Amino acid sequence: MELEEMKTLWEEMSIAVEKQKTITDSIIIKMTQTSFRNKMNRIWIPEILGSLVCLAEILYILINIQKLTPWYLLACGISAVVTLSLLILLSVKAIQKMRSVNISKINYKQSLLEYAAGKRQFVLVQKINFYLSAILLVVSLPVMGQLMGGKDLFKTSGFWIWYAVLFLFFYPLSRWLFKYYLKVTRDGEEILKELEG
Amino acid sequence: MPDKKEFIGIIKENEGLIYKVTRVYANSKEDEQDLYQDIVYQLWKSFDSFRKEAKITTWMYRVALNTAIAFLHKERRKRNHQPIDDALMNRTDINEPLKQERIEALYAVIKKLNTIEKGIILLYLEGRPYDEIAAITGFSCTNIGTRLNRIRQKITVQIKK
Repeated sequence: MELEEMKTLWEEMSIAVEKQKTITDSIIIKMTQTSFRNKMNRIWIPEILGSLVCLAEILYILINIQKLTPWYLLACGISAVVTLSLLILLSVKAIQKMRSVNISKINYKQSLLEYAAGKRQFVLVQKINFYLSAILLVVSLPVMGQLMGGKDLFKTSGFWIWYAVLFLFFYPLSRWLFKYYLKVTRDGEEILKELEG
Repeated sequence: MPDKKEFIGIIKENEGLIYKVTRVYANSKEDEQDLYQDIVYQLWKSFDSFRKEAKITTWMYRVALNTAIAFLHKERRKRNHQPIDDALMNRTDINEPLKQERIEALYAVIKKLNTIEKGIILLYLEGRPYDEIAAITGFSCTNIGTRLNRIRQKITVQIKK
């Protein structure tokens, strides 16, 4: 099929499409409303819920910070608060980024560049998120042990088994995630290569 | 607040444009429905900012193609759009089976192209002049000509296979 032949066929198809006007006022209105509601569900709610959980944990630790003694439990508590704050910050940044793309103002090329950059940023943010979550797991275990169970886990025998279990969970997850990130990075590079051509 | 009546009129006038973009970029009926709704939603969202500095179709192609890119690159897609009238997505069902088959083959050839080529070939087939394709895509007219030549070669190779 040559380009000219394709164009003729396309024109014939376009005429047939134009003849079949099917969309109604109510469908158009429903589409904009449905889409809007779904956009809220898909993008905002998980980010906001995640941030609220982090915020609740920060408040819980801060309210009970005087219970975190000796110094190493206090250090774990402060590290947990810092890590949780960074996770919230990343979430807020992600939401801001989603809102900043103005689809009607940019052209196709800029849009593709935006998405290539977005993929790179996505991988970076996810890697930071992953490391922060790992740190959070390590530091919040003794903090929660002290605050919820009144026990200094560092002095409990077999405490390190929990960390071994966490490692067993985290190791395959990290391998799988980093393979996925590599794929996303490659996709972004592919777009840039197409643009250069 | 955008004028709903005017917007509805524009969508009705150009529904074929949205349909063809969704057919080129989406790979399943469900995705076509999702993308169709996404495009209408994005057009509605940006309708207020459309200041008639461009032709209505130029603005619509720009928003529709950019939405299609966003749709293709979403990391996770959750299908929770409301089902829409099937007739909206099945409108090329032409009574002549041979022609219908050729149209399907045409879409299959386009779908094998990369994202940039898909956009350029779509606008070319729509009969848009080079300067309008340039305005929508951001590539120069010369670059569009070069890319169209490359697309022609690619298609020839595809058909020979």
